[in-house]
Amino acid sequence: MDEFIVEMRHITKRFPGIVANDDVSISVKKGEIFALLGENGAGKSTLMSMLFGMYEPDEGEIWIRGKKVKITSPAHATQLNIGMVHQHFKLVANYTITENIILGQEPPKRFLGLLPSVDIKGPNQKIAELSKRYGLEVDPRRKIEDINVSTRQRVEILKMLYREAEILIFDEPTAVLTPQEIEFLLNIIRELRSSGKTIILITHKLEEIKKVADRCAILCRGKLVGVMDVAGTSTKTMANMMVGREVSFALEKKPADFGAEVLNVSGLTVKSQDALPVVKNVSFSIRKGEIFAIAGVSGNGQTEVADAVMGLIPVSAGKLLLDGQDITAMSVRERTLAGISYIPEDRQEVGLVLDFDLAENLALKRYFKEPFCKKGILQDEAFAAHGKKLAEEFDIRSGQGISTVVRSMSGGNQQKAIIAREIELASELMIFVQPTRGLDIGAIENIHREILAQRDAGRAILLISLELDEIIGLADTIGVMYNGEMLNIAPAETLSATQVGEYMMGVKSV
Amino acid sequence: MKHDKQNTVAPLTRGFVKILGDEKRQSISIPLFAILLSLIAGALVILLFGKNPITAFLSFLQGSGILPKSAYAAKKSILTDLLSMINALTPMIFAALAVAVALKTGLFNIGVSGQMLVAGFMATVLVGYSGLPAYLAMPLVVIVGIVFGGAVGAFMGWLKHRFNINEVVASIMLNYIFQYIISFFINTYYINPVSRQSQPVSAAARLTLVDTAAFGLKMDIPLGFILTIPTALLVLFLLNRTRMGYELKVVGLNKRAAKYAGINVGRSVVSSMAISGALAGLAGVTLYLGYYNSIAPRVLTSVGFDSIAVCLLGNAHPIGILFSSLLITIISKGSNYMSSMMNIPQEIAEVITGLILLFSACGAFIKYRVALAREELSALKLKTELAISGKGGKKA
Repeated sequence: MDEFIVEMRHITKRFPGIVANDDVSISVKKGEIFALLGENGAGKSTLMSMLFGMYEPDEGEIWIRGKKVKITSPAHATQLNIGMVHQHFKLVANYTITENIILGQEPPKRFLGLLPSVDIKGPNQKIAELSKRYGLEVDPRRKIEDINVSTRQRVEILKMLYREAEILIFDEPTAVLTPQEIEFLLNIIRELRSSGKTIILITHKLEEIKKVADRCAILCRGKLVGVMDVAGTSTKTMANMMVGREVSFALEKKPADFGAEVLNVSGLTVKSQDALPVVKNVSFSIRKGEIFAIAGVSGNGQTEVADAVMGLIPVSAGKLLLDGQDITAMSVRERTLAGISYIPEDRQEVGLVLDFDLAENLALKRYFKEPFCKKGILQDEAFAAHGKKLAEEFDIRSGQGISTVVRSMSGGNQQKAIIAREIELASELMIFVQPTRGLDIGAIENIHREILAQRDAGRAILLISLELDEIIGLADTIGVMYNGEMLNIAPAETLSATQVGEYMMGVKSV
Repeated sequence: MKHDKQNTVAPLTRGFVKILGDEKRQSISIPLFAILLSLIAGALVILLFGKNPITAFLSFLQGSGILPKSAYAAKKSILTDLLSMINALTPMIFAALAVAVALKTGLFNIGVSGQMLVAGFMATVLVGYSGLPAYLAMPLVVIVGIVFGGAVGAFMGWLKHRFNINEVVASIMLNYIFQYIISFFINTYYINPVSRQSQPVSAAARLTLVDTAAFGLKMDIPLGFILTIPTALLVLFLLNRTRMGYELKVVGLNKRAAKYAGINVGRSVVSSMAISGALAGLAGVTLYLGYYNSIAPRVLTSVGFDSIAVCLLGNAHPIGILFSSLLITIISKGSNYMSSMMNIPQEIAEVITGLILLFSACGAFIKYRVALAREELSALKLKTELAISGKGGKKA
């Protein structure tokens, strides 16, 4: 049995109301890349959190290197040479890379043989060596706040290596990366394997598994569906097992039928609160029946474009025309009434009032008009009737119907509620920002269909997404933003994913 | 070994959580539990003095006209005590409603005392010394109170909106400014050399009819109280059934969502503080031209601060506030009689009142602990259910 470095036997973990892992058993061989595949909420992260000591299983055993262990804390897991790169990095922004890596186990030294201080030079050198050995390309003296997301992730990898981890867990490592960065990361992962490390990769992206993983365990609603050799299994089979039903990858997209221009943005410039330009002289237009997608790595000004069009942030220069009408100086309310719907990136912090019930949230954009409000008095019956109608039409599921407090609803249903509300406004222009972020395959499929249906109904759609697949799959026209500038606008069919990816990295001429 | 833990801790917690009920019932059960805790704490202090807590609590009720005393002075009875308690209750209700309206918009109006003082002073100067007949003076006092209280509140809201000055800081600083400016005017123009307070307002302008003879008794009739219940209902209606209330609540719960929904956040903040200030103004005139008939210079009333705890105890719900105000007023009014009856120093009576206020304000903490315990319990329950069904399955 000692060929397995990690064995998790009959693991069950319950949280109030759900069974996150139900009798799951997996065994990982030394020196392989083992993928854990499953939709959001399938229990992948929970399973790995138990291996990393963040939770303890309610039932079941964990065996490491042939010995039964009870992992009580992440520190304990580190002692067992287990390391984990979390989805959200745990780094101190104004510390250098080395300082972050040695945090918690700083090697002491004495200045002039007296004053205790931290030895930075030694670790600096050691980290530089590690970085070189695995091709991580990290300069240990730089501060975290000065490096990009992809480098930060590599710092997390270095942190594990520095602590001599042999079993490396990656939790959705590619969610925040561009296609090129993903390739780079996958190469690093391969490099780690060839130097004898064992890697567990949590993901819901099938193509990555296909590219690097040796074996793959599929979880569906907390249960283990199967473990298979990746080489002998098709992507389609894996997808079906993961969702528990047939999935159609191809979206049925009708040929485009563009009408008159709906939105015209010219010379849009937006400054951040520190007066730095975050959107620089951006111009584009969207026609009826067109999906205009803005691609870009997170934080390159895409969200600000959407916010500026909706009127949520001030515009410092430029002009916005909606159906030929100048809306640059209008308030959010006036723009909503003029015909803009907006599905915001942050559905909980912006799109919903979590402590309101479903009916109240579904009327958030219309509560001030009849039939919801007559002479300043709210009409409860109108709220209820409207809520019921939308919940039914858009299949919004909730515990206590329309009087469910939205906070208690699932992410997918919260998003459905926002989309239902915004579609019902029947606006000329619909803005979708990261509409499928954090949702599972089934919900994503529905939302994509809905976006296409709106396009076919003749609405102009502005789609902003970090998911390149989503943009390639849906867009009629693609604009790529980099560092606040619109680098390129072209019909979707003339661009390949690689080209878009290169623009996203700021390469201007392809 | 995990089993032992479940069996020892769970039954107590389980029973406790069961009593407090689900979220809906908790809005009532948790304040009640907070009151129970505060009474226990008060009882412990009384026990330390070697007195019987039950008698002490009964004397609180006797002192505030809920239960009959053993003896009454001439022209006094339980009715006079009750009316006197209601006289003190009136400003407390308005002040707590003022805190509640701001709280629903996510604002903390700690300036209620200052707003009360401004309203009380302006009504005193403009109407109290005017010699107008009662049928003109009384409504005018109420209107002046509402207008000036509202104006001060709106000013604080405007500072918050326009310059993003935290309303807590603005309120505390403005409290000082009002307190000293007003005491300057009182000391310079309106001082009564004997009482060292402002000159008493005319009886016609006073909202409490003092020493009214009826039923062979001499009692104080607090006319302001007539306004409390309709005002509470009005606030309830405003918050739950009007467009404005909807907007205030959205702003209070999620400012970014409010902006996204097209709500004018600045206007909501200013309106909310204006309404809160107007209610504080009502509290001010019922205190300074009702319960009292003069203003002591350089003193801020504690009503405006106690009302924060009262509001929290009443779950910031207008109807809840009616009850929590009643409770706190009974205790603070009854403490005098309690201390003389029980031979407990007045200071200790105040300590007990303070303890009750303190425990009353910890409802949120209790709620948090209960939610935690509930979560653990439901996890446990699930486990037991699964274990039982598992066993049953094997038998079958």
